[in-house]
Amino acid sequence: MRNWRYIVYIVVISLAISFPFYAGVHPIHVATTILSLLALALSWDILLRGGQLSLGVSAFFGIGSYTTVLTHLNWEVSPLLSIVLGGLAAGVVALVIGLAVLRLRGLYFAIVTLALTFIFIVIVRNLTDLTGGAIGKLIPSVIFGGDPAMIYWLTLAIAVATIITSEIFQKTRIHFALTSIRNNEIAAKSSGIDIFKYLLFAFVVTAVIQGVVGGVHAQRFAFVSPEESFSLTFTILPLAMCLLGGSFSTLGSVIGAGGLGVLAEYLRLMMPRGHLAIYGLVMVMAILLMPKGIVGTIREQLVRRKTASS
Amino acid sequence: MSVLRIENLTRRFGGLVALSGVNLELRENEILGLIGPNGAGKTTLLNVISGIYLPNSGRIIFDGKDVTESPAHIRCRLGIGRTFQIIQPNQNLNVLENVMVGSLFGQGAGLKEARRKAQEICQFLGLSRIERDITRLTVLEIKKMEMAHALATQPKVLLLDEIMTGLNIDEAREVIELVRKIRDQGMTICVIEHMMRIIKELTDRVLVLDRGEVIAEGLYEEVSNDPRVISAYLGEEE
Ligand SMILES: Nc1ncnc2c1ncn2[C@@H]1O[C@H](COP(=O)(O)OP(=O)(O)O)[C@@H](O)[C@H]1O
Ligand SMILES: [Mg+2]
Repeated sequence: MRNWRYIVYIVVISLAISFPFYAGVHPIHVATTILSLLALALSWDILLRGGQLSLGVSAFFGIGSYTTVLTHLNWEVSPLLSIVLGGLAAGVVALVIGLAVLRLRGLYFAIVTLALTFIFIVIVRNLTDLTGGAIGKLIPSVIFGGDPAMIYWLTLAIAVATIITSEIFQKTRIHFALTSIRNNEIAAKSSGIDIFKYLLFAFVVTAVIQGVVGGVHAQRFAFVSPEESFSLTFTILPLAMCLLGGSFSTLGSVIGAGGLGVLAEYLRLMMPRGHLAIYGLVMVMAILLMPKGIVGTIREQLVRRKTASS
Repeated sequence: MSVLRIENLTRRFGGLVALSGVNLELRENEILGLIGPNGAGKTTLLNVISGIYLPNSGRIIFDGKDVTESPAHIRCRLGIGRTFQIIQPNQNLNVLENVMVGSLFGQGAGLKEARRKAQEICQFLGLSRIERDITRLTVLEIKKMEMAHALATQPKVLLLDEIMTGLNIDEAREVIELVRKIRDQGMTICVIEHMMRIIKELTDRVLVLDRGEVIAEGLYEEVSNDPRVISAYLGEEE
């Protein structure tokens, strides 16, 4: 049973790595986008496991994007290093902001993290000399000379790193801490859990992921602008992917990102006009019919079958 | 020797004085019964001792240290363990994992060690089939799991909030035996309990709260004949 599992992993990873060898340029682009959204969805889920619903993904994504472009342009840092710096900047900002906002809960936390995005849009628009204001900044050349396969592999590496991070969060004491906090904070602190420490840690780690994904995005499209880099799409799409696939698990976000990503592209090709309406409809239906997501629903069925047969 | 000393503790919720100048001493290795009518402030007292609420005034000395301002997770690690009147088991974890949380964070144990300790404690309390989902546990099993979880933090003082409520007589008897066994391991215990029979059988000493004030303290026989206690309980069923 265990071996069987590893065989599946190896097959999936080999297929993913070799994808650029048998797919055309367009599918490679689509897959790259799906992989970055996957990393965002999973990072969002990691914090949700501690009961905190963040709407600030776009904020850290944008901070990563801007840091990447600005360090690359102004300090002539290599593209890869600039992406790392993007992640670090997002992490540092999350650390500072987290000290304040992680004292909030529920709706208050969600709204304040949402507001972060707008605050950074305003900041970036007004620091015209540094950020290029409302117009943003262009990078003269795309990372890897625009080679889609290389960009794909870089994104795949980031997605895999996020999956591994997620699994580490699921397999260590962090899992026990986050799930206890989500269940009941009073009980959690009475068990010796330093709630603030664990939430801050999760907040920073996930912000680093979001910053790195933003950095790659900026390098891939060679520009940043307030509206594009801080677009709420980068909050809402990952959130929908995670909820559709199933929250509180690694597999959920992977399946949700894959499913919604492929569906979105298919619909766009099939009906250039009405695709967003159908897409929204599918999302609403899926969440209504399967509130626990695809993975959660299947798991529930399996458990039901197991208890029925025993 | 006192393990826990509470001096002149007051806690208000808005205009309501839930605890008013409460003094209490827990002596090493005793079982203290905390009784009083509904709304007397018993649970609030446990919450203030365990750090869920901070007091408005007064001091809490635990093991020689002033912990009045310490956060709850620190108090747990120092050795104040508790259960909840309204139980809060974690549905996302199985029985063993729920107990493990106590040793992981209350004691700072690693995963392996926490698992081993949790298994030991479950066995000690007679909790079996611990790899189970917690959704199908009986009331007794849930109460045992709560106790196991608190024990796993390796407390010096264990605060039990109405753990017998909802149990039938045989089950309550079993839990009484367990609480005694826990005490025999060197722990100091404070129990909140409604049933006077249980208080009489289990505790060494009793403290009576009424409307946030300590109205009597002493042996069960003394306290149960105290006119103030009798009048506080008038109208309340035994
Ligand atoms: N978090 C709270 N907010 C406001 N009032 C509270 C809170 N907790 C307890 N109280 C009030 O304090 C009083 C004592 O409650 P409690 O300690 O639960 O009593 P007991 O456990 O003795 O039945 C009650 O009047 C209760 O309504
Ligand atoms: Mg109570």
